[in-house]
Amino acid sequence: MTEVLTLTDVTKRFGRFTAVDRFSLRVPAGEVLGFLGPNGAGKTTTIRMVMSIIYPDEGEISVLGHPRASQVKDRVGYLPEERGLYRKMTVDQTLRYFGRLKGLHGHALSRRIAECLERVELQDWRRKRTEALSKGMQQKLQFVIAILHEPELVILDEPFSGLDPLNIELLKELIGELHGGRATVVLSTHQMEQAQRLCDRIVLINRGRKLIEGTMHEIRSRFTTRMLVLEGEGDFERLTRLPGVVSAHVTTAQARLELDDGADPSAILKHAVDVARLTRFEIQRPDLQEIFVRLVGADRQVDAGDAGDEPGSRVAAARRTN
Amino acid sequence: MRKVVAVAVREFIETVKTKAFLVSALVMPLLVGGAVSGFGWISRSITAGELPPRRIAVVDYSGVVFGELARQCEAYNREHPRRQLLVAATAAADADTLAKTVREGEWHAYLIVPADVVDADTACEFGRKDIQFETGVQLQNMVNEAVFTARCRRTDPPIDPESVRELQRSAAIRTIDVQTGEEAGDEAARMVTPFVFMFLLFMATLGISNGLLTTVIEEKSSRVVEVLLSAISPLQLMAGKILGMAAVGLAMLSVWGGVGYASAHASGAGHLVTGYRVTYALLYFLPGFLLLSSLLAGIGSACNTIKDAQGMAFPLSLITIVPMFCWMYISQSPASTVSVALSFIPPMTPFVMILRVCADPHTPIWQIVASLALLWASVVVAMWASAKIFRVGVLMYGKPPSPRELFHWLRHA
Repeated sequence: MTEVLTLTDVTKRFGRFTAVDRFSLRVPAGEVLGFLGPNGAGKTTTIRMVMSIIYPDEGEISVLGHPRASQVKDRVGYLPEERGLYRKMTVDQTLRYFGRLKGLHGHALSRRIAECLERVELQDWRRKRTEALSKGMQQKLQFVIAILHEPELVILDEPFSGLDPLNIELLKELIGELHGGRATVVLSTHQMEQAQRLCDRIVLINRGRKLIEGTMHEIRSRFTTRMLVLEGEGDFERLTRLPGVVSAHVTTAQARLELDDGADPSAILKHAVDVARLTRFEIQRPDLQEIFVRLVGADRQVDAGDAGDEPGSRVAAARRTN
Repeated sequence: MRKVVAVAVREFIETVKTKAFLVSALVMPLLVGGAVSGFGWISRSITAGELPPRRIAVVDYSGVVFGELARQCEAYNREHPRRQLLVAATAAADADTLAKTVREGEWHAYLIVPADVVDADTACEFGRKDIQFETGVQLQNMVNEAVFTARCRRTDPPIDPESVRELQRSAAIRTIDVQTGEEAGDEAARMVTPFVFMFLLFMATLGISNGLLTTVIEEKSSRVVEVLLSAISPLQLMAGKILGMAAVGLAMLSVWGGVGYASAHASGAGHLVTGYRVTYALLYFLPGFLLLSSLLAGIGSACNTIKDAQGMAFPLSLITIVPMFCWMYISQSPASTVSVALSFIPPMTPFVMILRVCADPHTPIWQIVASLALLWASVVVAMWASAKIFRVGVLMYGKPPSPRELFHWLRHA
């Protein structure tokens, strides 16, 4: 499989702050890659380097076989996190302008605009100024701008922020269709659930370094911790103090308990029956959200204890704390 | 290049569509034209408009002035039937009494002529409460004439005042502009011509470049800039914007220039708009515009609010405005050391040079070539620096950078 995007030991510093630190990544053609990390992890900086909006201080980047995305910008679609529209231009003018900037012209451009507007149900808004659009419509329009020129590689930075569930579903469909058309997708998001459902592979970064990388299955199988899920009515709070419970997330209707290796789930079940009327009892692997919180949290602790060690040992340390 | 043109076209259309542009390109020339003709109307009404008869009490202690003064008045009233000036000889009274009668409206004004007015320089006293420009001037002239006539009659033998006036008749002078071979016409129009050309250049460069500051900041604050950068490079974006704005500047220059040319022709000063002057205006417009606009694009990209940007652009505006203040000096002494020195301070160069070449067709060619070369060199430097700042600044939000940070961007971007 050919690689559409490769980063090799990429480093970017802003003054004394290292935003991205020897980061490497390979994205094969046709893959949907989830690019995850907390705020300030270096996701946007990495993406901007990929788009050659800023340049790395060290390391190599290859986009569609070229060292700079600026050489292949017409084949790459980018939806930035910080995105806006010209408020006084109509939907049609906006798409025409950006279409031209992405190398589309004449009849092909008109055809694509009609097609895309129909697909996101904005065809009736063509002659309206963008300031008249609702936030969700603006988001859809921005998505259309990113994919208007049918790019081979699409980079989406927080595409779901500010969208209602219906539009999130629509956008997911559209992203799926991009994939169907063999496009490669890099998806940066905070919404773990979306990432879990959409992505073939996940890369998690924190403070400019890669914490973990792999398919959902690979990542979850690395975390052998058992999560005990209880649902029903009752006082789940009392279960959190039982021996063998490492951490807990409790609401009035549900409890998610993290068990330590030696804990016996059936002992906890016995207690649970006493304090609540159960409707569900299940042992699970941690989900992406929990893995994310744990890895990032551990990474922070490592930093507090020992500054300036190797990124490899950092991941190892994160695993040890499991 | 196609993308740069697309950016330029959008920039041009969106700017030309704005009210600010319509006002400055179309309404302003009309207003200026209106103001000029309005001024003409006002000045005509000052000297020829209708006024109620003004009755002036005259106390003539010399006994030789009033008769001639009354004759002068009659002559004036014959020419100005709608603004009569009436003088009446009044019995001797002190100034306070006369002032009271003027205050109470019995008389329009009073005039006391001292006994020795013909021999000594004792002042006449003119008491008035109005502010009519022409009343004072006319009365002054009439008193002068009357005293002059009295003096002529007192000499031995007496001189005929008319023959003296005949001798003092001014010599006629026809001024020819040797560049055009035509009659040079109005002195004042000749004097302000360099200023008019500089002002046009000023509006088309600084006025329009300031628009660039606004659009860059708008694109930043509306967060549209990163969407743009997904399709084009920062350099293409900046180049496109500058190109589009240059077209706006040219459009403005042609509208204003056209209106200016038409009104110059209408007022008989068309010969002052020479091909030579227009050529130099265009020759200095291009680099002048590119220099200011690239500097302002850089400044705009580093800031997030118009206020910050104007603060940062203030020193630049201050420098470019210098020729505005000393245009009179520069155009009157275009070859002086100061004028030549000012020609070589880049942001001022186009304005100072246009003043100088318009004022003096013999501006040394080496100075023109050198100033243009310097201007183009500074355009290259400014574009290089602004492109670097633009690349970093356009995605920076928050506090505007300090000069030290800007310098850092220049070195490391």
